[in-house]
Amino acid sequence: MAKIEWMLNGTPISSDIDLSMRLLDYLRDHQHLKGPKEGCGEGECGACAVLIDHQIANSCLVPMANVAGHEVVTIEGFAKTKRYQIIQQAFIDCGAVQCGFCTPGMIIATESLLHHQPQPTISEIKVALSGNLCRCTGYNMIIEAITLAAKRGRGEW
Amino acid sequence: MKFQPDIGTPIPRVDAKEKISGAAAYINDIDMPGMLYAKTLRSKMAHGKIIKRHYPTLPEGYAIIDYRHIPGTNIVKAIYEDWQIFPVDEVRYIGEPILLVVGENKDVIIDILEAIEITYEEMEPQFEWIDSVIHYHYEKKHGSRPFADANRIIEHTYETGYQEQAYIEPQGMIGYLDQDKMTLIGSIQCPYYVKNAVLMALGWENERVRVIQAHVGGAFGGKEEYPSLIACQLAMAVIQVNKPVKLIFEREEDIIASTKRHPAQIAMKAAIDSEGHIMALKVHVGIDAGAVIGLSGVVLSRAMIAATGAYTIENLDVTGDVYRTHSVPTGAFRGFGAPQMMFAIEMFMEHIARNLGKEPLAYRMAYVAKQYDLTATSGTFRDPILMQKMIEEAMKRSRYEEKALQYQNLHRYQGIGMSFFLHGCGFTGSGEATTIKAKVRLRREASGVVHILIAAVDMGQGVRTAMRKLVAHMLEVPIDQVIYDLPDTDCVPDSGPTVASRTMMIVGGLVARAAQRLGMEPQIAVEIEETYHQPSEIQWDEARMQGDAYPAYSWGVNVVEVAVDPVTGEVSVVGAWSVYDVGKAIDTLMVRGQADGGLAQGIAYGYLEVMRHHQGKIQQRNLTDYIIPTAADMPPMETYLFDNPYAYGPYGAKGVGELTLVGGAPAIAKAIEMAIKRQITKIPVTPEMIMELMTHGED
Amino acid sequence: MVEARIPHSLQEALILMSQATYTIVNGATDLLVQKRSWSGTIPKFSQPPLYIRGLKELDYICERSGMLEIGATTSLETILHHPKTPKILQHIILTMASPAIRHQATLSGNIQNASPAGDSLVGLYLLDASIVLHNRHHERVISIQDFIVDVRKTMREADELITKVVLPIDKFSQCAYTKVGPRKTDAIAKVAFGGLIDIENDRIRDIRIAFGAVYKTVLRSRKIEESLMGKDRSAVPEMKHVLLEGYASLIQPIDDQRSNRWYRKTTALNLLEAFLDSISR
Repeated sequence: MAKIEWMLNGTPISSDIDLSMRLLDYLRDHQHLKGPKEGCGEGECGACAVLIDHQIANSCLVPMANVAGHEVVTIEGFAKTKRYQIIQQAFIDCGAVQCGFCTPGMIIATESLLHHQPQPTISEIKVALSGNLCRCTGYNMIIEAITLAAKRGRGEW
Repeated sequence: MKFQPDIGTPIPRVDAKEKISGAAAYINDIDMPGMLYAKTLRSKMAHGKIIKRHYPTLPEGYAIIDYRHIPGTNIVKAIYEDWQIFPVDEVRYIGEPILLVVGENKDVIIDILEAIEITYEEMEPQFEWIDSVIHYHYEKKHGSRPFADANRIIEHTYETGYQEQAYIEPQGMIGYLDQDKMTLIGSIQCPYYVKNAVLMALGWENERVRVIQAHVGGAFGGKEEYPSLIACQLAMAVIQVNKPVKLIFEREEDIIASTKRHPAQIAMKAAIDSEGHIMALKVHVGIDAGAVIGLSGVVLSRAMIAATGAYTIENLDVTGDVYRTHSVPTGAFRGFGAPQMMFAIEMFMEHIARNLGKEPLAYRMAYVAKQYDLTATSGTFRDPILMQKMIEEAMKRSRYEEKALQYQNLHRYQGIGMSFFLHGCGFTGSGEATTIKAKVRLRREASGVVHILIAAVDMGQGVRTAMRKLVAHMLEVPIDQVIYDLPDTDCVPDSGPTVASRTMMIVGGLVARAAQRLGMEPQIAVEIEETYHQPSEIQWDEARMQGDAYPAYSWGVNVVEVAVDPVTGEVSVVGAWSVYDVGKAIDTLMVRGQADGGLAQGIAYGYLEVMRHHQGKIQQRNLTDYIIPTAADMPPMETYLFDNPYAYGPYGAKGVGELTLVGGAPAIAKAIEMAIKRQITKIPVTPEMIMELMTHGED
Repeated sequence: MVEARIPHSLQEALILMSQATYTIVNGATDLLVQKRSWSGTIPKFSQPPLYIRGLKELDYICERSGMLEIGATTSLETILHHPKTPKILQHIILTMASPAIRHQATLSGNIQNASPAGDSLVGLYLLDASIVLHNRHHERVISIQDFIVDVRKTMREADELITKVVLPIDKFSQCAYTKVGPRKTDAIAKVAFGGLIDIENDRIRDIRIAFGAVYKTVLRSRKIEESLMGKDRSAVPEMKHVLLEGYASLIQPIDDQRSNRWYRKTTALNLLEAFLDSISR
């Protein structure tokens, strides 16, 4: 156990915690933030994705030690933004949601991409999604949703 | 009458927002006060006798649950009842669940699991396909007799491998006692399958078991029969500890222990006359059930009935065997036997044409089924078949002819392949009428709000949206006046499992009929019930496999274009075009979602997804090694729908979900054949196989 | 009992390491996969973990006296986007896992992991990278080829920390890299091939060839490379046969759940042949 200082969804937080605990377990079991999901536990599927300092990370592979001094934003935190609203509407309009299990991770991947590249090409979108598995959609409708979000949200990122 | 847009006009998915925000509760997102955890101890041996079990002394609050805790029957109720809830003295596959350890602290549970010693006497495992446990046979017209007069006989054998459903949400369930009622919430496709299985395992009366669906993070057949096993085990645990218990699979145990698509070996033989026409086909379908028969007989029959794919062949002799082996049980997976068969028949038709020196496309076109043709099982295709037009559309959209001509003549490692296929909607044979007997209810409250009471599960396909849209459209009320909660067996009648491309056509058909009656009902607060009746013209002889195997068929054409890297044998999927007849789309955007996702699984089945076992041990044990496509692997997809309303489907709707998967593998395999100019008889067509074919293969 | 620690400076890390044996955890993207247990339980390390990812003094990438220096805690994504990063390393990093992993993972982690399929290693072998190690008292520099001794075995002593990777900034007229994985992205290599060449007035001034995932470590033969140095590019076709045979005798791949020996070897040699063909063209 050790104390770490960090930020979670905009709030400074000080946790006395086992440094080896997975961020995913901390979020789900200690903070009851169930938006990040566990699909594989080894960084392949991206269902557990969160933003660390605005960049996508797999929370199943982040030990609590590695969030010390950083800012973590989960889908619950991101949902409070205008950018989220834009992405959400684009996902709805393009039919990009099916079973929904990968979806919060896909939204995080979208935000991480658009934060760095507000007008991405299709191939940049594919690279950005390469760590987020979806078994329902075949990806095209997700790619269309991200393209649409980028277009509608011009100036937001 | 108010203006109503066409039923197919897309509307927002009713559960999109809660899923996007992460608020939708999947089973692992649900916690209950005092909840314990369960973890499974699994067999490490493919076949062995359990000689001794050593269980450690358990700390207070911990329990080990095994076969001795089963009050009812030690069998998971399914089609063929040979699946034990827990083994007594013999393990039959690696990963077979032997017992559960239940308790509050996961670390303590792990310690207990590590302290348990199971002593086995190793028995000879069987991995060869020799132990046939189910054998079927049917003939059409003269059966195989024309072979005696054949001018030439052409034969090829086709092989397909395992496919893992790879839903992103692993299997999971929570059980608890509510007063004295066993209540199970789970990631499931079929609430009543689970309920009936638990009833039999417990030997309790009907009212004492309740099953509720949580949000389901993908299923694809993988949550059809398998969750019943978990539910039975969990129910025993709940009785022992009298507290809520959660059992969630880790990805690796899900992969090694849960059901997958049956590997198949399909031997095809054609009798050819002097003009090169097919006189008869002789087909043998062998599938590997693994250690448990379960649904394998039904999978086999669907495969066998699809023996001629989208074609009409006059004479047929079709046999099939389910083989039992000491490997992981196989079971339901989107397509249910049809993807294996569709690969075999589509490749075989191509190979016959090539072997005869004929142009494959024209040769195949000549055999495409037409309205009033006899089906493989001598039933009748009663409804119009639009395949000729659909094929033309697919060719036009994909520029098939131009590309095929170019790729055939140039050695540039590019190829384009086209598959024709159909899928029988609903349960095979008389299953709907004799086994399922679907029942649906609509209840209108005094406020005018209408509740849809059915057991159909939304596992991503969008049935909650589609059913509400259907009822709202028929009653001409806003969609928020129509309620459809996650099914709970205490509240909804048994409308059957969410499988077999039956939900919209069969259940939706009943819902539409109920809505129609409700619309005419003068009283506001009223409940309407509808029960399934087989259309009288549909006749099926189960024993001889003769007659109308399905009430209706959906049809499809897939075109897939590839480029093969001759240096590495890697395949890039460049484009995909599809044309479907699903009767009538209840929502074109959701149908497209099924089309894209199904085709992605079908294509990946054909070239990407490798799973093998070695001495019963699955080699690809996680999502690092079991490869499903990422965004970078999938091409843009174009889908076109042809309306062809079916009389008994709501607005004419037929099945969608499985159809979109079955044509992907043959389309990509044909495209790769064209690119490398070698004959392909096996999927997945991996770079390893391509390299081997390019080095040693035949044209 | 020694506990998991987050050192606040390199100095503190080295002192801790002089007092006890720790498992160094950097980006954790590989170690947490290896050490994971049941979801919801703490990953099990046999030695206490020392979490160094937060060491800011090792988070840099800069040019210093003609060399590119990459600190041990610099993320792969940072390296990917740095203007001075050699092209081949950029190509390689783009094929490594996914953006989510690349934000957390580090080059030194990939080196310490010493997997035969470690993607970055092919690039580091080609670039003649040096590994800089520190313990409490001294520093040593080892070439990557010497540092990695076997499958998952390196020269690092228990009290030593990889502090940086140093790359000579050389000029190449051509660079080739192919990772053959089971899918386009987010995959472990079945075979990897990298080639660097510098040609001046049709003469081969420098040539380097390396293979990944076909031997216990990255495979690079200076002897074979030397046979090409100074040759005219037009001489390559007639040497091709001997070169292919030379590498064929060194390549020793394995059969596993991802691919097979024959395919790995055939593909590795095909990639080499394509590279050699591109030289004379």
